[in-house]
Amino acid sequence: MTFISQIIQYAISGITSGSIYAIVGICWSTVFLISGVLNFATGEFVMLGGMLTWFFETSGMDLGLAAVLSIVLTCIVAMLVERLVIRPIKHATEMVYMLVTIAAASVIKGLVLITCGTETHTIPPVFSSKSINIFGATVTPQALFVVGVLAVLMVGLHLFLNHTLFGKALRASSVNRTGAELFGINVGRFRLFCFALAGGMGALAGIIITPIAFTGYNVGLLASLKGLVVAIVGGWEIRNTVVAGLVLGLLEGFFAGFVSTGWGDALSLGFMIVFLIVQTLDLGMRKIRMPGHGC
Amino acid sequence: MAVRELKQRKGFLLFSLAVALGPWIIRSNYMTSVMILIAIYGVLSLGMELLMGQTGLFSLAHPTWFGLGAYVSGIAATRGILPPMASIVAAGGFAAVVAFVIGAPVLRLKGFYLACATFAIIIVAQVAAAQWTGLTGGPEGLVGIPALRIAGYTLTSDLQFYYLSWFFCLVCYLFCSNLAASRVGRALRALRDSELASSSVGIHVSYYKLQVFVLTATMAAVAGGIFCFYLRFVVPDSFGFPLLLELLMMTIMGGLGDLRGALVGTFSVIWLKEALNAYLRKGFPSISSEVDVVFFGLLIIVVLIFMPKGLVGGMDQVATFLRREIGRER
Repeated sequence: MTFISQIIQYAISGITSGSIYAIVGICWSTVFLISGVLNFATGEFVMLGGMLTWFFETSGMDLGLAAVLSIVLTCIVAMLVERLVIRPIKHATEMVYMLVTIAAASVIKGLVLITCGTETHTIPPVFSSKSINIFGATVTPQALFVVGVLAVLMVGLHLFLNHTLFGKALRASSVNRTGAELFGINVGRFRLFCFALAGGMGALAGIIITPIAFTGYNVGLLASLKGLVVAIVGGWEIRNTVVAGLVLGLLEGFFAGFVSTGWGDALSLGFMIVFLIVQTLDLGMRKIRMPGHGC
Repeated sequence: MAVRELKQRKGFLLFSLAVALGPWIIRSNYMTSVMILIAIYGVLSLGMELLMGQTGLFSLAHPTWFGLGAYVSGIAATRGILPPMASIVAAGGFAAVVAFVIGAPVLRLKGFYLACATFAIIIVAQVAAAQWTGLTGGPEGLVGIPALRIAGYTLTSDLQFYYLSWFFCLVCYLFCSNLAASRVGRALRALRDSELASSSVGIHVSYYKLQVFVLTATMAAVAGGIFCFYLRFVVPDSFGFPLLLELLMMTIMGGLGDLRGALVGTFSVIWLKEALNAYLRKGFPSISSEVDVVFFGLLIIVVLIFMPKGLVGGMDQVATFLRREIGRER
């Protein structure tokens, strides 16, 4: 393999995983912006999507049907998390929300572990796995599919949030929750909807990445954290989150290719720590305002 | 004067006495080994309580300080750089320096951004411990740690470790409760309630935060040193997310905002875990130890929803109720 084809190969794998990070990041920010809940169970939705699809697929179901069914089931799980865990909390602070979602995530993870075991699984790709050759680098159709899903999700979300009444109401309540409530918007129901949306998108991300990266009971935590990284770096905004996700994916791809695969997870999380700290420094530049950052 | 002070510390003295006599009343190796774990984790949850409950700092990096202490003292003792006892002290000092260097920038973050950054520190540290094979022994862990020697006296039995770990735990408790009752403790609680208000009355907010961060990290690292000489081997997996979940469980179960809660929480969580292991494993042999995670997750949710003040808060409520009903006013 020549150097150029190596670079292209790493870039492709980086963009593929970056797209997944971007989708998970969008899941984080939809929930966080509407309800102020930092949902650490986001990664478990990704895991559930992959595992449930594998489960239905091996029990003899059609792949498409299995995917749809697992997305629906994950939506239901996400809504249950909102109903049973988030809603009953009385003295709600962001920290309490964070603790209960961490707890909910470990419950989901543990239940999957008990029922499905510790093995990693995979599902067949959506398209026939005849790979495409670009300058000596191979691209699987599944990788293109992942990028395509991200693009469709982005366009869909954009249309939904900007061109429907419901989407506009969602945006309004993310800007000012009390104000939206005063205008008769049922914010509690919106939160439920956002959890379902995050569950669905997370499950979709889990399904499309499974043929490439495998799935297992423990993929959730890292998926969660990577999504959190890009959501924070992207400032909880969809477009910036996607950019941040792709950049992080590329960085990780090149790092894994040229330096080491083992340290890759430390890289992205270290990146987040440094980013957060740099934001607190007053370098005389334009202050980036982050929600919830206080004074 | 001295008598009054003893009276004020009645509960603590009784508890210490119970701890000291415990192994002679119930002679069981199993009990002793569980109680050692309680003492070691008790130090950790005291630190979490001081950070989260008293200062309002949601720093989740506690497992990392614990692991750092265990690894530093383990490596120093295994390679013969320092004698075992000195290596525990060195681990505390090293963790203090690292916590200072990391804490100074990270503590600038507020609210859940601090929690996210410290959560990331756990994962980074775990990756480092697993990848830096030359130093840490990689995922298989660090083995061949020598026995702990104090002043020419080798600690071999659980009973000796029991007294060592409980001595350290009780010293930490005494120190923390004195700290919480002092001017520093009031300053910490003030800055928990409002950083702006407390800085306007002359409390140096970032200074106090950093101090308490370094203090708890040092405590955790020394506990890690004891832990590593007790188990005689260290693996990266014991300082990760599951430990964080357990520590959160202990602090929340005991009740945030009360130092006694840390010890009560540790005691109840570890015994619950043991009971779970003993009884559930018998009924369902196929279920692995991972069932703990489900159970603790559920328990955190239930406690936060129904009992936000934890066990100590509940006990206080019961005590107040009884006092009022029985009519004995203090």
